[in-house]
Amino acid sequence: MNVVYQSTYYTLYQSVKERCFYVDFGQKMVRMSLCQLLSLRYKVLSISIEDHFDGDLNRHGFEVLMLCNKEHLFVLNTLEVLDLKQLVDHSFVALGLSEERETASI
Amino acid sequence: MKDIARQSMGIKVESMDLLNGQIKMEAHASATYLAMASWCEQNGFFTSAKFFYKQAEEERGHMMKIFEFLIDTGGNPLSPEVTGINHDYSSIVDVFESTLEHEVAVTKSIHNIVKKARELGDIATERFLDWFVLEQVEEENTIRDILDMIAVTGTEGVGLQMIDNQVANWME
Repeated sequence: MNVVYQSTYYTLYQSVKERCFYVDFGQKMVRMSLCQLLSLRYKVLSISIEDHFDGDLNRHGFEVLMLCNKEHLFVLNTLEVLDLKQLVDHSFVALGLSEERETASI
Repeated sequence: MKDIARQSMGIKVESMDLLNGQIKMEAHASATYLAMASWCEQNGFFTSAKFFYKQAEEERGHMMKIFEFLIDTGGNPLSPEVTGINHDYSSIVDVFESTLEHEVAVTKSIHNIVKKARELGDIATERFLDWFVLEQVEEENTIRDILDMIAVTGTEGVGLQMIDNQVANWME
């Protein structure tokens, strides 16, 4: 497996043999197709990080993330969300599917 | 490193995001035209209502065209959430003026995606949108012609009834 991008907490790997990707979330490794990776990207980029700094909008500063058709569930804190956003951004650039700078918004 | 990502997806994610935005816009347009059809039915403009039913279907067709393109290119099309549909219009003129505003906004949005796709070197997306660019010329022209007809006919006396009857000329 090749490392596509490594952030502080997470790593994205590409497996040429299995034609898929793996995300190491620390506690567990999650196998993903590109479609599932695109879905992860959508969910992560849709998280409003500003809400984490507003006690009324996000009282506890956590996000619940369900992946791969509800097969995996993660509870992430603010720093982990920021790190995952960074992983997603840089990984798609490294994969050649995104420009150097994210300009589109969801 | 073997390019599995490129083998699975043929367009850039930025284009995909913009096209998902366009899906939402087309769905919103479809719902708006349905609301206009409802207004026309309730206010006695039955031919105009038929015109807007047809427009609503067309907009949904546009949405599905983009949706299928994203599927074909290995992207992740998103089913849009449609909210905030206006159901209140002051007159039939207001309805058609709002329609033209809507179409101009759609045209601008499509042009923006074409420019972005060009910037990204995403030729597939750029060429796919060729059809939409020309379709928008036609859509805008239809509504402009109807507004010109309304201006010539006038809204006094039997004018409103004549306007409604004339709208049939723009329904193939």
